[in-house]
Amino acid sequence: MAAGAGAVVAAFLSAVADHDLDRAFALVADDADVRLPAAGVNGGAAAARGFLHATLTAFPDLTVRTRRTVVARDGTVVVELTMEGTQAGDYLGVVNQEKHLDVDEGWLFRVRDGRITAIHGYWCQNQVYRRLAVRRLDQPAIV
Amino acid sequence: MTLDTTPDVTGSDATNVTSGRTPGAVVTAFFDAYRRHDVDGMVDLCSDNAEFSYVPFEAWGKQRVLRGDGKVRTIGKAIWAGLIHAFPDLTVDVHAIAESATGDVVAEVTIGGTQALPWGAIANRGRHYDEPHLFVFRVADGAVDGITAYWDGAGISRQLGHLEVD
Repeated sequence: MAAGAGAVVAAFLSAVADHDLDRAFALVADDADVRLPAAGVNGGAAAARGFLHATLTAFPDLTVRTRRTVVARDGTVVVELTMEGTQAGDYLGVVNQEKHLDVDEGWLFRVRDGRITAIHGYWCQNQVYRRLAVRRLDQPAIV
Repeated sequence: MTLDTTPDVTGSDATNVTSGRTPGAVVTAFFDAYRRHDVDGMVDLCSDNAEFSYVPFEAWGKQRVLRGDGKVRTIGKAIWAGLIHAFPDLTVDVHAIAESATGDVVAEVTIGGTQALPWGAIANRGRHYDEPHLFVFRVADGAVDGITAYWDGAGISRQLGHLEVD
């Protein structure tokens, strides 16, 4: 099961890297446990898809580079990756200044019966804000 | 779900011959020591040259960016000791630990505490934080040989009342 879990997550991330969210979320259970604390996102597959849609829209040249993958025996998969792109539109309240973003992130997935049942994404929003020239957490639109 | 007790380690049947502990058990012992605020105990569970990377640690200067990367015995030990000093009631709640067939261990952990002293650029306002973390360990020969961790530093700053993006 574990090796299969790694392949499912690799296929999901490959689809995200191709900006093909239909292909990516065909692999995710609708009621998946989604937690993206830095973005304040909790919910199911639709919540994760909404976040990634906003990200890909604001960063149309976004790349997703996997640095390391850990596949546990119980179907847990952790991927350390780097997301990189250039802002081309407003993003989660941050006005577009055409800044370049490169952030190292850790994403934990759980896979059962070939479907992703949990997506927990960990990154530092301060690092995102620094790169996008945001000065205050309570005023992301003011740069 | 928050566990205050030692969690089950899923997926392990590769007991290390040297230590008699599985990689997951080594990591569990590491967090047990962290929960006791036993920094020396945490370090003792790591190899002499264990790598350390706290990804959100980043300080932008005019000429260079300082990062929380280095060795456990230099950077890691100082960061852990500083955190416990500033947050003397620091809690470490392990939610889940899982390990691979090759000795990698991942853990989801909530770390929190009430600020009692300035911490980095964050002045003490006496506030409390709880923030989820993702840890990735590499374990070899019965010792932690690498630690990488991810969390949202903005989440901690916001909870502590520090709203500047430094």
